[in-house]
Parts: sequence; C-alpha cells; structure tokens
Amino acid sequence: MPVGVSISWPVLAPIVALTAGGLLIMLVDLMSRKVDRAVLYGIGVASCAAAFVAMLPLYGREEVTLSGAFASDRFSWTFDALLLLTLAITFLLSSLRKSEDGGNAGAYGALVIFCTIGGMVMAGANNLIIIFLGIEQLSLALYVLAGTGFPREASQEAALKYVLLGSLASGFLIFGSALLYGASGGIGLTALAAAAASPNGLFVAGFALFLVGLAFKLALVPFHTWAPDVYEGSPLAVTGFMAVAVKVAAFAVLARVVYVVAGHDSVALIPLWILAILSMLVGNLGAIRQRNLKRLLGYSSIAQAGYVIVALSGVGSGGLTTMLFYLTAYALTTLGAFGVMALLGDGSDSYADLDSYRGLLFRRPLPAAAMALFFFSLAGIPATAGFYGKILLLQQAFSGGPWGLAMAVSLVFGTLVSFYVYGKVVWYMYAYSEGEAALPTGNALAPWIAVTAGALGTIVFGILPQIFYASQPFLTAAAK
Amino acid sequence: MVNLINTVIFLPLATGLVLLFVPRTAPSVLKGIALAGAIATFLLSLAFLPIGTTSAADLSVPWISGSWLASYHVRIDALRLFFVILTTLVGAGSVWAAFSYGIAARLRGFLFLLLAFETTLLGLFTAADLLLFYIYWDLMLIPVFLLLSGYAGTDQARRAAWGYLIYNGAGGLVLLLGIIALVSQVHSFELPGAAFTLSAPLEWWIFGAFAIAFLVKTPAFPFHSWMPPTYTYSPAPLVAMVSGVQSKAGLFGLLAFALPLFPHAAHSWAPALLVVAVLSILYGAFAAIGERDAKTLIAFSSLSHLGLVWLALFAFNITSVSSSILMLVSHGLIAAALFLLLGFVEERVRTRELSQFGGLSLRAPRLAVFMLIASMAALGLPGLSGFAGEFLILIGTWQTQPVYTLLALIAVILASVYMLKLFQSTMHGPERVPYQAAIIEMRPREMLLVAPLLAAIVFLGVWPGWLNDRTPSTVDTRSMVQTTSPVDTKSAAAGLPGTRS
Repeated sequence: MPVGVSISWPVLAPIVALTAGGLLIMLVDLMSRKVDRAVLYGIGVASCAAAFVAMLPLYGREEVTLSGAFASDRFSWTFDALLLLTLAITFLLSSLRKSEDGGNAGAYGALVIFCTIGGMVMAGANNLIIIFLGIEQLSLALYVLAGTGFPREASQEAALKYVLLGSLASGFLIFGSALLYGASGGIGLTALAAAAASPNGLFVAGFALFLVGLAFKLALVPFHTWAPDVYEGSPLAVTGFMAVAVKVAAFAVLARVVYVVAGHDSVALIPLWILAILSMLVGNLGAIRQRNLKRLLGYSSIAQAGYVIVALSGVGSGGLTTMLFYLTAYALTTLGAFGVMALLGDGSDSYADLDSYRGLLFRRPLPAAAMALFFFSLAGIPATAGFYGKILLLQQAFSGGPWGLAMAVSLVFGTLVSFYVYGKVVWYMYAYSEGEAALPTGNALAPWIAVTAGALGTIVFGILPQIFYASQPFLTAAAK
Repeated sequence: MVNLINTVIFLPLATGLVLLFVPRTAPSVLKGIALAGAIATFLLSLAFLPIGTTSAADLSVPWISGSWLASYHVRIDALRLFFVILTTLVGAGSVWAAFSYGIAARLRGFLFLLLAFETTLLGLFTAADLLLFYIYWDLMLIPVFLLLSGYAGTDQARRAAWGYLIYNGAGGLVLLLGIIALVSQVHSFELPGAAFTLSAPLEWWIFGAFAIAFLVKTPAFPFHSWMPPTYTYSPAPLVAMVSGVQSKAGLFGLLAFALPLFPHAAHSWAPALLVVAVLSILYGAFAAIGERDAKTLIAFSSLSHLGLVWLALFAFNITSVSSSILMLVSHGLIAAALFLLLGFVEERVRTRELSQFGGLSLRAPRLAVFMLIASMAALGLPGLSGFAGEFLILIGTWQTQPVYTLLALIAVILASVYMLKLFQSTMHGPERVPYQAAIIEMRPREMLLVAPLLAAIVFLGVWPGWLNDRTPSTVDTRSMVQTTSPVDTKSAAAGLPGTRS
C-alpha cells in the first residue's frame, strides 16, 4: 500500500468548482468595490451550474477517495444536487432590491457558497472527522449569514442564539464521535458498523451523543428551541437556505449513519423514532399560533424533519429513495414559498407577516395561487409532490414494525393539525377581499424563476412521481 | 365512449378554467359559459345511459410502477352510472342557482370553485383505482372549504368551514392509513378484481378505517357534528352539491371498494354499523323535529335518510342492498331540490327561522307547489322517489333485521311530522315576513333549474324499476349477501310495479 493519500479528483470536482466560484466572488469583490451584486451572484449561480456539470460524470457511480474518507455514492449524489439547487435559488432570492446582505455582497455570496460546500462535504463524508468538518463549515458560515440582517436586532439575536446552541450541538457531536472512536477503534463508518453489531456501553453513549448533535442541527424536538427565533430573525433568503440546505445535508449524514452503521431495526435508533414522533407533534402544534410566516415555516420545518425520518424506519434501502423524494418535495415547496415571500416583498420581510396576505388572491392572483400550491403540498393535499411523498412515507412506516406504526399515526395526526396551519394561510389570501391598505408588492424576475421552478416541480412530481424515479441514479441499487 | 369519460370528468373543471380568463366585469359572459359547460356535462353523461348491467366504459392507463402499481383507471358501469348522472344533474342546477348568489364581483370565483368541485365528485365516482379515489376524496375538501369560508361572509360560516375541513380531513387521513396498510400488503392500488388474501385482524382494521372515513363523510350519527353548521351556513348551490352528491361519496366507497374488498370484515363490523345506522335514523329524525332553522332541519333529515342506507347495506339482504342506489339517487335529488328551494325562500325573506315567516303560498303559489313536491318526496309519499327507495329497503331489512327495521319505521313516521311542519310553517298560515321583505313569485330561471330534479323525483317514484334494472344485480356486494329465502324476497318485491325480482 503506498504511503500518502490517493486523491480521485473527479469525485472532488464539484466541491472544487464551487470553491473556485466562492474565491472568484471574493476576488472580484476585492478588485472593484463598486461591482454590482448581480454580477457577484451571477458568478455564484454559474459556479452552481459548473459544480452540477462536474457531478454528471458521477451519476450512478459509487466511488471513494481520500483513503475511504470521502465518497460519492447513493447517499450523496441527489443530496448534492438538492444542495446546488438550493444554493442557486438562494442567489436568485438574494439579488433583490431589498435583500439584506449586511452591506457586503462579496462576503455574503462567498459565505453562502462555503456553507453549501460544508453541506456537500457532509453528504460525502465517510468518517467521523469529515462529518464533523462538514458540519462545522456549514454551521460557522451560517452563523455569520444569520446575522447579515445586521442593523435589525432580531437578526443579531438570531445569530447569537444560533451560534450558542449550535456550538453546544457541536460539542455533543465531537464528544460522541470521540466515544465512538473509543468503542470501535476507528473513525470510518465501516469500523463503527462492526462495533454496532455488538454494542458496548461506550458505543451506546457515543451514538446517543452523536444523534443528539445531529438532532440539534435538524431542529428535532426537544432540540428545536432555537429554530423559530433563528428562522424569524435571519434575512429572508438565508432563512430559505437554512430551512432546506441544513436539513438536506444533515439528512445525508443521518441516512448514511443509519444504513451503514445501524440498520433500520437497531435498538440504537429507537431514540431517533421518538424524536421524530415528538417533532411531528410539537412542530405542527407549535405552528398553530404563529402569525409570522418565517416563524411558521420554522415550526413547519421541525415537523417536516420528523416526517423525513419516517422514511428510515422501514425494511430495505427503499427508504432512501423515499427520503430523497420527500426531501425533494420539501425543498421545492419550501424554496417556492420563500420565493413568493421574496417576490412580493422585493426581498424584504414585509410579506413575512400573515396579515399582509389578506385578500392577496384578488390583488396578485398568480403569486397567491403559487403560495397556495406550496402550502397545499406541505400539508400533503393530493396532486402535489408532498402528497405522494407522504404516501411513500406511510408505506415505509407500515413496514417498520410497532415503532413504524406509531410514527404513521403521529404523521397522520400531525398532518391533520397542519391542515389548519397551512389552510390558515390560504384562507387569509382568499377569505378577505377588502380591508387593510394593501402593501406594495414587487414583481422582479429572479424570484419568479424560483417560484416557477418550485411550482412545476411540485405539480410534476405530484402527478407523475415516476419522473423523479427515472432521474434517480441509484434506484436499481436502492430497490434491492 | 371510453374517451368520453375523461371529457365528462374534466369538462366542468375546464369550463371553470376558461372562466378565469373572462373579465370579472362581464357577468353575463361568465354565467353563459358556466351554464353551457355544466349543461353540456350533464348531456354528455346521459350518453352513458345505454350501459346495461353487463357492459361498462373502462379506461385504464398505467401510471405508477415500482414498489406498487397504480393506474389511471376510470370506469362507468352500472354501479357508477347513476352517481355520475346525479352529479352532473345537480351540478348543472347548482351552477345555475349560483347566478343570483353572493357578491357579483366574486361570482367568477364562486362558479370556478363550484365547477372544480363537480370535477372532483365526478372523478371520485368514476375512479376504479384506490389512489385515484383517494386523490379526489381529499381534493374535494378544498373547493368546499373555500366556498364556505369565502362566500357566505359570516363568522359562523367561517367556523363551519374549519369544522368541515378538520372533520373531513381527519376522516380522509384515516382512510389513507387504511389504504396504505392494504397496499403495503398487496402492492397495488388497482384492486377491484385483484385476488389477494389478508389476515383476518388486518382486514378488520382496514375495513374499520374505511368505514370511519365513510361515516364521517356521509355523515352518520356520532361523526356528524360538522354537518349541521356546514349545511346551514353554506350558500344554497354549495349545500345542494354537498348534501345532494358529496354525502353519497362514503356509501359509494362502500359499494365500490370496501364491501367487495373486505367481505369478511364487513360482516364482523355489521353489528356495530347497524347500531350506528339506527342511531342516525332516530337521532336525525328527532333532531329535525325540534329544529327551528329550515336548513338545519333538512340537514338532520338527511342524517336520518342516509342512516337508512347504512341499515340497508349492513342488513345484507338482497332487496335492501340492491335498492340502496335507488335510495341514494332519490335522496340526492330530493335534498338538492329542497336546499335550492330553501335558498330561494331565504333570498326572499332573508331568514331561515321558521318562527319568523310563513304563508308564502299566498304570494308565491308556484314556489309552494315546488316546495310541496319536494317535501312530500322527502317524507316518503307513495308515487314519489323517496317512497320507492324507503319501501324496498324496509322490505329487505325486515327479513334479516326486524328489530332495527321497526325502529327505523318510527323515523319514517317522524319524517311526516318534520316535513309537514316545515311546509306548513313556511307556506301556509297567515302571511308573515320580517323586515318588509318582498315575496316575489318564482322566476322562470328558478323554476327551470329545479324542475328537472322534481321531474326525476316523480319519474323514479312511478317507475323505480327503470333505475333498479339499470343498477347491478350481481356486483360483488350482492354475492356476499346472505339471502335467507330468495322466494320471500321475490314475492315481497313483486308488490311494487316495475321492481326487479
């Protein structure tokens, strides 16, 4: 065996492309202070496209590099694609007239990219250290981004809360990783799998701490308390990014850990099932009283994270496809909803308030209809991607034994509560035609692209889910 | 013929979508297009009348494959035909009735939602695939919720809308659990005709899930609390659709899916469901007697009449089961007619309180005649469709469930009490109107839109066999019926002209 590390550059190419894009943004910003931020974000979108092109050769191939520390496989490809989609849409939503960037578009653009790179590192990470590295890169960049609505106190508060609780979570993660290393004698996930076959006390403690750390990042109940405040305070585009990218990346880690290390019937995962049940209930119930849409979507994202975990409960790796389908549906609808907010408020928070949606259907029928579609999809109303996702989740739950059944019941109950939560927004847009003086609404092109993409995806995957399956590189492997 | 199915299902929705491109300020164009679409749908649906009990229009396109199969499978056969025609007939009447309803500026939205609602109902009644069935089952919630919350304009209506959404949403989700539990076992949504075996407890649970969803939708006694406010505060065209057509969705689901798929569980659930049926029949009748709001009164009478259909199905007697479609169609026509007529009354006197007005027949004799026919049909006067359905059902249930039949008979008598009370206090007596409201005679439009419903009520009343001959005599549901003695059934049914023996 040769000394040193063998590097397979094609596997790393997407990350390299993104890094280059991020550096280029910083460089251009440095060279000319007067450059329009549309140019900077244009570079950002271009680097997303470049990274995606770099991903294409990896379609359907399973490869590891860096001595097995980093992989491109069924746990990473679609997650990476979703991260890139989120990044591109975030750039679109950040480019609006009133979008907040802390007065420094270059730093903002670079940070969003580096954040996404952190997510992609998480998705490909095959050992504990790389996982931690990815999580830290994602989180550190996001702490700063949460504070880029700088003069607003809520934004500062969000950044501070996020950094405090996020660091605590990192502490859990690293401590858990250390114990896992002690229990298994290795940091690779395959080494952990061997130890998981006959777990000792050290392993159980380490695994539990590791799960707690991830649960913080996913905002699972009872580790969710930071989420609503951070979602409400962060700039609009950052909240949208946070709601999707962090979940996608953390679920990539979770899926890999569950499938490679634990196995769906492992006793070690029972705490995870409990977290999922609590999240579905508390997330939906907590959303009932919210009158700020960013906050409402914060609670909603807690509940939706609970739903996604249900995908892991069933036998076989069909659960991975289910998880990907639901995450895709969630990403499209959530980004679409943030797109509508950004479109109407021209990037500002003025359309985060529920009251501003009164009678919107009669003032701006198209954005209102799109918003209704996204909220129907989040609620799981038929003919949307969210509906088919829930059908897949329920099927997965029914093959997951008693815990699966408990989750199926919680999912259904949570969905019922969410009919009220999401229905209320639609009702506001529809039920009041007159009254308050209408706020001015924006009509920029960039968010329209995001909204259209979200709406198309939601409808197409909802009516013809087969199209999603056809796009999945590892379906045949996953279906085994 | 096969392609015509999709035309019938989607023509209302397409009409509604066209409306969205017509300016709101051109109400006459809106009305013309909407009515033309609704009437065309009705006429097209009549093209399926030649379908006998042996043939069917059937269209199946593969849709989803993988860990399970689903098809876009739509079908119009003897079982589904009259549900479809009932929907298109009531739909046309409701669209027409909607012209005078609500704020003129929001007429377009009203018509769009009403037509979209009609499409979801038609989709439901033609679905032969459980996934498709469920999709329409749930989609139906949206137009009703929006129509109820957005157009009545009162706080009670908004509360009623939430009640409707949460109750029916809950029922739908229970149904979804049942469907997925079933599909996890058999890996296909396209079930009718598929051979599969389920363990007895699983079949019991799944049938239970279906039954609860259907009981909520119909509704039946302990699950009915969404109904009185929904029916009372809905605009008349909407409630005509909800009570005339949507209330049949659950019982259609039983006939088309639950009973054929889970015959054993149906038998083990029957004792409980029979009790529910009789409680609905009696509770509905007594509540209607005590009711002072005209629309709520009809709501409770619906509870009572549809309880009779639950009794008919779970008495497992061939006469009662095979007459249930007649009863459902008849109830749909009567309920739709009554609610539309009460809508006209409310428009004139601006109240529904029975104590607040009366004696309308003096100024509006035609309205009184229309009302008389509909109320007499509802109380089961021989010669009108309500009687035929009730009579055949009671003959059948008497043979297997005599005790429950006797209890149900009480309600039949009570029906005369509350329907006569409704008619007398609104139409007869000295003329009383609040707020100097002007009582105007029925307009030609109003007569024209209710007349087909009344004509159908009379037609089915004198010739129930016409419909009974066109509904299935040997569907799966009938195969599980335990006929105690076929000879008795025959002789009993022979007493009625034109009945199938």
